[in-house]
Amino acid sequence: MSESKDASLTPETRRLHEGLARVWANPRGLGALTVVNHTTLGLRFMATGAVFFLIGGLLAMLIRTQLAFPDNNFMSNETYNQVFTMHGTVMMFLFAIPILEGLAIYMIPKMIGARDLVCPRLTAFGYFCYLFGGIILTSSLFLDMAPNSGWFMYTPLSSGDYSPGSGSDFWLLGITFVEISALSAGVELVVSILRTRTEGMALHKMPLFAWYILAMALMIVVGFPPLILGSILLELARATGMPFFDPAGGGDPVLWAHLFWLFGHPEVYIIFLPGAGIVATLIPVFARRPIVGYGWVVAAIVIMGFVSFGLWVHHMFTLGIPQLATAFFSAASMLVAIPTGIQIFVWLSTLWLGRPVMSLPMLWILGFLVIFVLGGLTGVMLALVPFNWQVHDTHFVVAHMHYVLVGGMLFPLLAGLYYWLPQVSGRMPSERLGKWSFWLIFLGFNITFLIMHWTGLLGMRRRVFTYDTAMGWDIYNLISSVGGFMMAGGVALLILDVALHFRFGKPASQNPWNADGLEWAMPKPPTPYNFVSLPRLETRNPLWDAPELPRTILEGQHGLATIDHGRRETWGSDPLTGKLREVIHLPTNSWWPLLAALTLALVCISLLVRLYPLAAAATLVAVGFLLRWSWENGAHPKAAPDATVAPGQPPLHSRTMNGPGVWTMSVSHLANGSLYLSLLFGWFYLWTVAPEWQMPAASPLAWPLLVGAGVALTLGILLLAKLVRRLRRGHDASLGTGLFVVAILGALQSVLLIGTIWLAKLAPTESAHDATLLVALLYILIHALLGALLCLLQGLRVGYGFVGAEAPLEPVVVLRLWYYNLVVYWSLFVAIWVMPTVLGGTS
Amino acid sequence: MSHLLRLTHPIHLVGGLTLWGIWFVAIYGGLSVACTVAPPSPDRDALTGINVVLGVSTLGTAILLLWLTWACMKASRRTQVRRERFFALASAGIYLFSAGATLFVGYPVMFLPPCI
Amino acid sequence: MLIVTVVVSLGVYALWLYTFRRRHQPERTPREERRVMLRWVLGGGILLPVVSIVALMIFAAPTGRGMLPLPLTDADPERIEVIGHQWWWEVRYPGGEGEADVVTANRLVMPAGEPVDFRLGSADVIHAFWLPRLGGKRDMVPGRFSTIRLEADSPGVFGGQCAEFCGAQHTGMQLHVEALEREDYDAWLAERRAAPEPIEEDDTIRAFGEHCAACHRVAGFPKVLVVDDVEHDIEGPDLTDIGSRPTLGAGELPMEEGAIAYWLQHHQTLKPGNRMPPHNHIETETLQDIGAWLETLEP
Repeated sequence: MSESKDASLTPETRRLHEGLARVWANPRGLGALTVVNHTTLGLRFMATGAVFFLIGGLLAMLIRTQLAFPDNNFMSNETYNQVFTMHGTVMMFLFAIPILEGLAIYMIPKMIGARDLVCPRLTAFGYFCYLFGGIILTSSLFLDMAPNSGWFMYTPLSSGDYSPGSGSDFWLLGITFVEISALSAGVELVVSILRTRTEGMALHKMPLFAWYILAMALMIVVGFPPLILGSILLELARATGMPFFDPAGGGDPVLWAHLFWLFGHPEVYIIFLPGAGIVATLIPVFARRPIVGYGWVVAAIVIMGFVSFGLWVHHMFTLGIPQLATAFFSAASMLVAIPTGIQIFVWLSTLWLGRPVMSLPMLWILGFLVIFVLGGLTGVMLALVPFNWQVHDTHFVVAHMHYVLVGGMLFPLLAGLYYWLPQVSGRMPSERLGKWSFWLIFLGFNITFLIMHWTGLLGMRRRVFTYDTAMGWDIYNLISSVGGFMMAGGVALLILDVALHFRFGKPASQNPWNADGLEWAMPKPPTPYNFVSLPRLETRNPLWDAPELPRTILEGQHGLATIDHGRRETWGSDPLTGKLREVIHLPTNSWWPLLAALTLALVCISLLVRLYPLAAAATLVAVGFLLRWSWENGAHPKAAPDATVAPGQPPLHSRTMNGPGVWTMSVSHLANGSLYLSLLFGWFYLWTVAPEWQMPAASPLAWPLLVGAGVALTLGILLLAKLVRRLRRGHDASLGTGLFVVAILGALQSVLLIGTIWLAKLAPTESAHDATLLVALLYILIHALLGALLCLLQGLRVGYGFVGAEAPLEPVVVLRLWYYNLVVYWSLFVAIWVMPTVLGGTS
Repeated sequence: MSHLLRLTHPIHLVGGLTLWGIWFVAIYGGLSVACTVAPPSPDRDALTGINVVLGVSTLGTAILLLWLTWACMKASRRTQVRRERFFALASAGIYLFSAGATLFVGYPVMFLPPCI
Repeated sequence: MLIVTVVVSLGVYALWLYTFRRRHQPERTPREERRVMLRWVLGGGILLPVVSIVALMIFAAPTGRGMLPLPLTDADPERIEVIGHQWWWEVRYPGGEGEADVVTANRLVMPAGEPVDFRLGSADVIHAFWLPRLGGKRDMVPGRFSTIRLEADSPGVFGGQCAEFCGAQHTGMQLHVEALEREDYDAWLAERRAAPEPIEEDDTIRAFGEHCAACHRVAGFPKVLVVDDVEHDIEGPDLTDIGSRPTLGAGELPMEEGAIAYWLQHHQTLKPGNRMPPHNHIETETLQDIGAWLETLEP
């Protein structure tokens, strides 16, 4: 804040600074739990992720201690199984994804010239879901009932029959809870990047880091739902005995493997892309020139994002899938080499054409290069089916995977840490300690894992808790363990360095690395509102082309430099051109995210201890909190009751028909649609592939009821769309009544659906057919109820005057949900009624 | 919505790989279903109807993608707006990659029997 | 392949490091810069990976085909069925028309010098069948069977193991594999196809019937002596030829005199978590008698 007391500022500017500080203030004490600011929450995400990294690292050390010697009794086999399962789970779900999301949450608004993310309360909600889910999951370690079926949780091993304890439940519920956080951050980042860039920042002008994060966020949105569906099905199977994965009941354990790896492989790229984004940000800075081949990188990102979804079966080459099918996936896996190659060589040519300087962050980047290239090359080898058959599930794969993940994610992350620390704290870390920790981690890592390729080729399997000395693996394992501890020493030194620098670090200058990014144009440490005024940008390298920006931003020479209205504001811009479209008013600190997350944690715990009535009650309360949260929008007194904006400014977003809320709803439905498609995939997969699948001769569903429900839904949409069309023309007469009628039609649809389920007399615990059908029907029932409920609330809001011709955004958002329901309803009707009826009941 | 069809719109960045993805799902799903419903005798090796259908769909998709590559190149030369040229060129690259990827992934159809 | 990997990675490292060493940078126009960039990206980023993966594909295609269970031109290959259990292997040699299968456990005897089709299944969770010396591995999935064709070039003894994590004793799921000349293999199989010798009832046999026979089959064991009054959902290894097997407990300890009795008393310490209940309620002497009798069971 020292800058804001700068003597060179006029009194007017100083008043502006004080006003912004007041409106954007983070409460202290207990009130700190209500903070929604992205800077604070991004740091919380990263700090929490770092703690989980230490826990995961500790587990890794336990593993290496056990394997250091043959026939070691350090841990029992049962403990060892828990430890390696949790090591993988913690590192993937509680460290890698959240810490990268934290970085994106912290960095993206600063890079694209926004004051916050587009849904600040969602950021807070996501953080609490992550924190509580992580605590629930790790607590299982201390209760000695940690999951022990491997981080991929293959059924039937993870099923009730073969894992009777609570371990698998901890995993399924805890991870699903954490994934809510990943998804909410994913949705929010997509919309923020597309819709809140500062004036003039056209899509092809935004920093490459934003492209990488956009791809990562979209991949999260599409890639996580299959696992969420899988987890729901497996938890249902464990809790009630529904045989989705049990061949005896017409299920198939391979369905779980598909759902898991549909998520699991993109996950690797979800982790790699932000890492590559850091590399692409740092390389130009230290090469002292703009990146060359920007378009090539964008194309490579898009290709990676897509192709990574075409690879999932390569984790299942040994599951006995026809060889032609595995050949498709094998070929697709090799294709990833091309976008990777493009990126490596774009970075190389940037260095080649620049005048690169060495620095601590650059050292980590070189470490990344060495490790990642090797990991990538062994990856190409693994894509080969015959080779894969040989080394699958050996330590060779363990080595490969750590080269890719540690090389592709941890090293860039640490490069980013050293690069951005001065931005966060305003101080420089120690060059000497940093170099020591780099060499310890780099050498320790290679000692551990380079030799492990060889151990794997010698035939050492993964996930064995000990081995016989006669195998001749002793010395290699001992070397790996020594390297592991060396790496741990490096991490300890790194923590020391970071901790010390907050106190003893030299103060950093405004732009210590002479970087081009906008994040260096703000005071250090950053103010909650990031920028006093939002500049118009036409360049990819703002601080190189306009070095005066830090000063002019501070002096309020740019956009949105007013605060008398008392609102938190940022620009809403056109996703393509960056032209201004609206002023987005952001919500302030709120208790609702915490309360909603707490009740969801209660749901999670009560499912864990199998108190189902409590879980149902808590779910209702959580929905109540979420709806109450949504109440404070639009023209609500806590949001934006007064719609006046400064002359020449675009309107407030809640006063338009295409605000970011519409985008958030659409992106959420991308996630929802991915879940729905996974469900359809499950239905058709079991139908065609499961050996014992039983399809009854006639559908158990009463078609008149199903069609009736569909008609109610369709009529509801026709009416709602008409209401929205009239709003667009500025008419809101009888809007409230209309919305109530739509709500009643939604309720009618729900009632008819409940009738259908009731009359079908399904036996979900006996046949996978009935179980899947029930889940599909419940899915559309939940959506019908949600559609009705939201229309009801909108009707009420019209009555309060929060929604109407003046503030028309929300009905448009709700209409999106109804359109989604329409598509899902009728396509599901075809899949579960028309097709079985036409094709007839066969097994 | 018609502006989405213009080849200078960034939606075409994802167009090529979306087509590739649909094709990929279709051949993988089609193969699985065909092998469940009507598996050909292993004696026939790779000379089965399934292989022929898969091969033709591969060629068809690749030709469509190559045409789109060409169309994007043309669109990039026609436009004067830098942004539009940027996206048309990047899309052309990705369409070309998708065409290559289609041929590469579909290539085993020529010599592997479908269902074992 | 390894050499290419090393050369490519070292080359890329060297190029990157070189950029830091160069002192003299020629001035370039944007056009020239573009040309330099295109040269690197097209050469290194596109041509290099494309050439490598196409080469790999050409190399991979015939290798993969050789592993397919395609019909052979001359005779049908030998078929052996292997079923994974937590945490042991059931091995079955299918009998002909009206003939019973030969069943054994944790020991796989196969003919050498000819392809063998292994039909793989699982009785409980997903396991994976892997004979590292012979190549590929294949998952064993409950509810379905899959076939993998392997060939041992010459007679010999080697190890096999479960390669898919399958629970507490995944580590202790080893398979002893012997490849025999065709005639030795036929003889080995014929011995086991012969009708079992009758079993004389005595105290040991009755004890076996009471404590063990509900889960463990021994061919020719009198049905009336089998006490099956507790509920159990697992199956134990077939013991018909246990005396002839080289190891106990799926490779946990070598078969020697007294080994079975020792195993029966200490199996939960030797292989913690295995599915056989502890025998604390049975007198040591009885266990020793059962062990001694089992050791006599050879064809």
